[in-house]
Amino acid sequence: MMLLTCPREKEVKELVERGQWPQACAPELREHVDGCRSCAELALVTRAFQSARAEAAGAANPGSPGVLWWRAQLSRRNAALERIGRPILGAQIFALATNLLLAVAFVVWQARHGLAWLTWLEQLPQTAALHLDSLWPSDLFGSGLSSVLTPMVMIPALATLALLGGVVVYLASEKQ
Amino acid sequence: MPWESVIPDVLAGGANIAASQAASPPMDNDAFAGFYERSARSLWAYLARTSGDPALADDLMQESFVRFLCAPHPPSQLAEGEVACRRYLFRIATNLLRDHWRRPRPPSIEETPEDFFARNGGSAQADSQMMLLPALRQMHPRERQLLWLAHAEGYSHREIAEVTGLGSASVRLLLFRARRKIARLLGDGERGREL
Repeated sequence: MMLLTCPREKEVKELVERGQWPQACAPELREHVDGCRSCAELALVTRAFQSARAEAAGAANPGSPGVLWWRAQLSRRNAALERIGRPILGAQIFALATNLLLAVAFVVWQARHGLAWLTWLEQLPQTAALHLDSLWPSDLFGSGLSSVLTPMVMIPALATLALLGGVVVYLASEKQ
Repeated sequence: MPWESVIPDVLAGGANIAASQAASPPMDNDAFAGFYERSARSLWAYLARTSGDPALADDLMQESFVRFLCAPHPPSQLAEGEVACRRYLFRIATNLLRDHWRRPRPPSIEETPEDFFARNGGSAQADSQMMLLPALRQMHPRERQLLWLAHAEGYSHREIAEVTGLGSASVRLLLFRARRKIARLLGDGERGREL
């Protein structure tokens, strides 16, 4: 398709955009447009679009700029915080992976050397360092029952302590 | 060297300072309000007429302004002027429209509410709308965009190329074809009304 344009198109377009076409234009230009396909098309299309623009702009209900300003501020802030938090998240994932690796290594090591620490745990209350038997009356349980119950008390107690410690750390970091 | 100086931003308030620095918009609140008042209507008209969906135009207009304010390197109103800001805004809106059309099942123009194409005005404006809107419905979305930017907004080929991401030579050719096509449709419409 040949791009046939007329050198007077710019003149016609300016007149239409200023709303001066066809009433306020020179008769000579009007005659030219009547005989020039390119200029006639331009005048027809530009007039229709200018009119549509005025009509559509009148129908628009843009709303308050304040809401958009607030939304943009919020969005920018969230994006910035996300950018800042990205390395921290990476560090957390690294720490978790390291801990998991250590835990796996520990389990493997224990499996190879037998579960000797369970025997140690059973003997722990009888050691001089921890006299847990003194926490309850000696006549309440027999000595056999006491040696079974002590690990059953110790393990949940330690687990509860670890859980509470984790919650405290989490709450402290959330507060920050 | 104290450890605080090695990682200063991690200390108390550092994150907030960084966030507030990143949150500085391209213009202040008052300047934005003025810019919005001057640009919102024409942007809505562009989106509504090229998409054929006023509700979509509402959504995309708001999203365009938010993205304009959040853009990492928007044109500065002081340095480059409001015209550049407006062009940038139209570019964002054009990209949003394109994304909308690229979605798996975009709503077709046939789903547009009837009253959108049947606005009553009783004026010469309403008459021209009665011819233009059916003609626009027969145009490709890209052609509608190009025609609107050229003839409603008065952008040059270079500016349209900047807004749409097309080459300037392509814009010239596509616009020429689109103008010829819509002129034919408008001419047919006029003749139909006369009969």
